Amino acid sequence: MSLGDAERDEQRALLETYFRTRDLAVRDQLVAANLRLALHLARRFSNRGVSLDDLEQVASLGLLRAIDRFDPSRGLEFSTFATPTIMGELKRHFRDKGWAVRVPRRVQELHLLLNATVADLTHQLGRSPTIAELATASRASEEEVLEAMEAAQAYRSASIEGRSAAHPESSDLQLGVDDLGLFEAENKLLVEKLLAHLAPREQLLLRLRFYEEMTQQQIAERLGVSQMHVSRLLSRCLDDLRRRAEIAQDQA
Amino acid sequence: MSPPDDVRSVDRDEIRLSLPALFPYGRVARLAVTGLASRNGYSYDDVEDLRIAVGEVFGVLVSEERPAARLQLTCVLLPDALDITASRAPAAPIERITDLSRQILGAVVDDTAIDESSGRIRIVKLLRSSP
Repeated sequence: MSLGDAERDEQRALLETYFRTRDLAVRDQLVAANLRLALHLARRFSNRGVSLDDLEQVASLGLLRAIDRFDPSRGLEFSTFATPTIMGELKRHFRDKGWAVRVPRRVQELHLLLNATVADLTHQLGRSPTIAELATASRASEEEVLEAMEAAQAYRSASIEGRSAAHPESSDLQLGVDDLGLFEAENKLLVEKLLAHLAPREQLLLRLRFYEEMTQQQIAERLGVSQMHVSRLLSRCLDDLRRRAEIAQDQA
Repeated sequence: MSPPDDVRSVDRDEIRLSLPALFPYGRVARLAVTGLASRNGYSYDDVEDLRIAVGEVFGVLVSEERPAARLQLTCVLLPDALDITASRAPAAPIERITDLSRQILGAVVDDTAIDESSGRIRIVKLLRSSP
């Protein structure tokens, strides 16, 4: 699975281009270049009652996810980053015993792509994009985008009552320890005051995350949305909260 | 004399769904509601809010202990809002609604009316601004 120097440089350039541009053609090249790694990892889970076709599909999704999340500025080798992401995807597949609702591969892929597209468009437009804008950017129909949003729901275990069956492990997208510091006892009064300025949706998320101590994954499952959505909303409102805290401190 | 409801409803963006009161049909309800919302240019965040809200309403009205036959959903798309009413058929009171469910609904929609005795929930999500 090791790459020669020239291949490694070429891959690094592609990863940097994709990180900057989110160009789907570049992503396709990255998928093609790393598919061997995904298929190799999928085979490690064969003979466990899930067809190799399905495993390869799950591993490919893990690869897509890794490409979407990879940040070249951190200096990690892509394979070092991608391997645990793909393995995590395969393990989760076994744990969840597959999709609760049969979701076509195209929709699964769009679901993953959507996370990056929402983040990009929100940044570009300075507001949450419309479904039509997302559809255009993803080269999909509005219906497909809505189906892809539903895929977050399908990825949960079968019952809507899965509320108590939240995954015990923490997510790999947890907020940093610094964020939790804001919610320590001595800050509680200030935080309570600042919370009141946030929109109700943001207040709810912060309460669930920091007072109920639910993980992002548990919140996502309880609400039936993707963890990326929870992560995005939380970091947005934490930024807002931090800004307000600084202003409050300056005034004091 | 005012025209009957069915005639009036021709003039407005309204959908009525009658679904089996079973959890898997929550997906159908969410897709119908979000499809209507996207017609009016609701943002991704607001569509996610609506998905959460409809899922929560389903969670409250569909009871595995006391199953209702159907769930009726009426969604009206107004110029500046989406107005959704959900009820059980036949009508039956809501046995249990948790504080968290109330908080979630309060957080993701602009107006909520829960009539526990008749088993009817109305939610309204405003259309904030056009892009």
